Amino acid sequence: MKISKLKNLWHLPLLLAILVQFWPLVFMISTSFKDMNQIFQASLNPLPLPPTLVNYETVLNNFPFFTFLNNTLFIAIFITVIKLVTSVLAAFAFVYYDFKYKEVIFNSMLLTFFIPFTVLIMPNYLLMSKLGLLNTPWGVILPQLVDGMGIFLMRQTMRGIPKALLEAAVLENASPLQVLYKVILPLIRPSATAISIFFFIDAWNEYFWPLLVLQDKGMYTLPLALQMFISAEGGSEWGIAMAVAMLTCLPPLILYFVSQRFILNTFMQSGVKG
Amino acid sequence: MNNIKLTNICKAYGETVVVNNLNLEVKQGERLILLGPSGCGKTTTLRMIAGLESITSGELEISGKLFNTIPPGERNIAMVFQSYALFPHLTVWENIIFGLKIQKLPSEEIKKRAAKALEILNLTGYESYRPKELSGGQKQRVALCRALVKQSPYFLLDEPLSNLDAQLRQQARTELVKIHEIYKPTMIYVTHDQVEAMTVAHKIAILNKGTLQQIGTPKEIYNNPANTFVAGFIGTPPMNLCKAHLLYDKIFIGNECLVLPEKYREVVKERSTVVVGIRPERCTLEKSPMVEAKTVFVEDLGNQRITRLQLKTGEEIYVSTVDHKYSFALAQGFSFEWENVCFFDVGSGKNLIS
Repeated sequence: MKISKLKNLWHLPLLLAILVQFWPLVFMISTSFKDMNQIFQASLNPLPLPPTLVNYETVLNNFPFFTFLNNTLFIAIFITVIKLVTSVLAAFAFVYYDFKYKEVIFNSMLLTFFIPFTVLIMPNYLLMSKLGLLNTPWGVILPQLVDGMGIFLMRQTMRGIPKALLEAAVLENASPLQVLYKVILPLIRPSATAISIFFFIDAWNEYFWPLLVLQDKGMYTLPLALQMFISAEGGSEWGIAMAVAMLTCLPPLILYFVSQRFILNTFMQSGVKG
Repeated sequence: MNNIKLTNICKAYGETVVVNNLNLEVKQGERLILLGPSGCGKTTTLRMIAGLESITSGELEISGKLFNTIPPGERNIAMVFQSYALFPHLTVWENIIFGLKIQKLPSEEIKKRAAKALEILNLTGYESYRPKELSGGQKQRVALCRALVKQSPYFLLDEPLSNLDAQLRQQARTELVKIHEIYKPTMIYVTHDQVEAMTVAHKIAILNKGTLQQIGTPKEIYNNPANTFVAGFIGTPPMNLCKAHLLYDKIFIGNECLVLPEKYREVVKERSTVVVGIRPERCTLEKSPMVEAKTVFVEDLGNQRITRLQLKTGEEIYVSTVDHKYSFALAQGFSFEWENVCFFDVGSGKNLIS
């Protein structure tokens, strides 16, 4: 290597950090392809030799994996879609309408960023319980349909659209919804896609709230099911647990890689114009 | 009658008055130009007519109906924005038919109108381009096209040519007039460019600081400016304005004593001072001039030569000549005809003749 050695030295802590970050992932991937004997070998072998699919077969054949998958998909997609709709509509109002107390409302909405989730657990739980929605997907979904961050990000993006475009549409007698649908949405599509992915990954990975609301195993989402494998139903089935973990994190991972471009753009925009 | 009438229109943002008591009338098929320096309220006026800005007080009548509170979409007004406001995600064709589709016109009619407009504006073949693939001039024509297909009797243009270079601007100006002659809509056109105003307008309304200074044909405004602001705003170089003292039948311009003809003595009445205005091209350079002055600077523009003279009082006068009877080196000053002189009040700046 011809690059100065001193410079490369700075890469050392970075590489170390990457290693620390990646080690559990590598361990998860390799373990999921190992059989029992390989897992309990004394050496930390990162490469399963020979790799086996037996864990995946067990998961798919003996556990209601697809029920969990369906539950998770339903909840995650429902939350994502509605959150996107509410974010876009609220941002639209904040950007293009003048109404009384607009700034106050917007600022108090920003304040919700600072309320820790733990504070909301009790009131939300009681509310869901009174509504009779405990142990249903709706109990998981309902408290999450609006998101301050989503509104904030959508507002930042919409502020970048020249006002003349909206006025041109208004002069053509376009209704507010037509303006939103025909002019604004096509222009904010990259950002909207990006935050949808965030919403989706968040909802997909959520563990604590579903744990409180869902009791029936048939209702479980994948993160809950994952925990089930690790503790109750066989504490030593590491191969199977890792296979489930793999299957759980695969969809958001794929989604992220496909849409990385949009995500970076959105955050850059909010940073520059914020 | 598709006329637009503004009566005592005011616009204020809090304490700041942007348009002050504006009275205007544009007759059917007329091209009115709102002209003024930036910040004079001309764009605000246009936006009030379009309905994009609320009217603080006064009455806006279109075809005899009160339009103050009618939403912009229902006014049936076509507008071209300074930035063109083309939808970047739509093609040229989609941009043009955007409004027609919202109006839910039959698709045959939409096609017919759009194709015709594209043809008039020389855009046939560009239907599938997106705005970012077009040049400035093409974007401007697409914006015009979008306004045209609406076939609205009212046409508002907000500095439509200000983003074009000088050559294109002249071409677009001619085109604009040509198009207006085809459809004859009632047109209000905002600009800060006086050449545009002089060449396009049937009538020019000059605004300054939100107040109407003068309204009239380009010729009237040029030859007979209502006040010193208009006199100084129109024309390159603008009208020469210099202070003159009066004593009985004598007038002193640059310390030169001239006899004021009888006719103008009635105009200036018993004033002791007055502002005299003479167009640079109405002055001539002379060997034995009416007013002596020293040549300070000469600009040769090829077709015209602008000579800057300094009077004995220190005031400067521009003289614009086409044929060079005397070289500026020989000129001892300038002369003029009294009938080409305007007299303005020193205090108010008002033209005393009109």
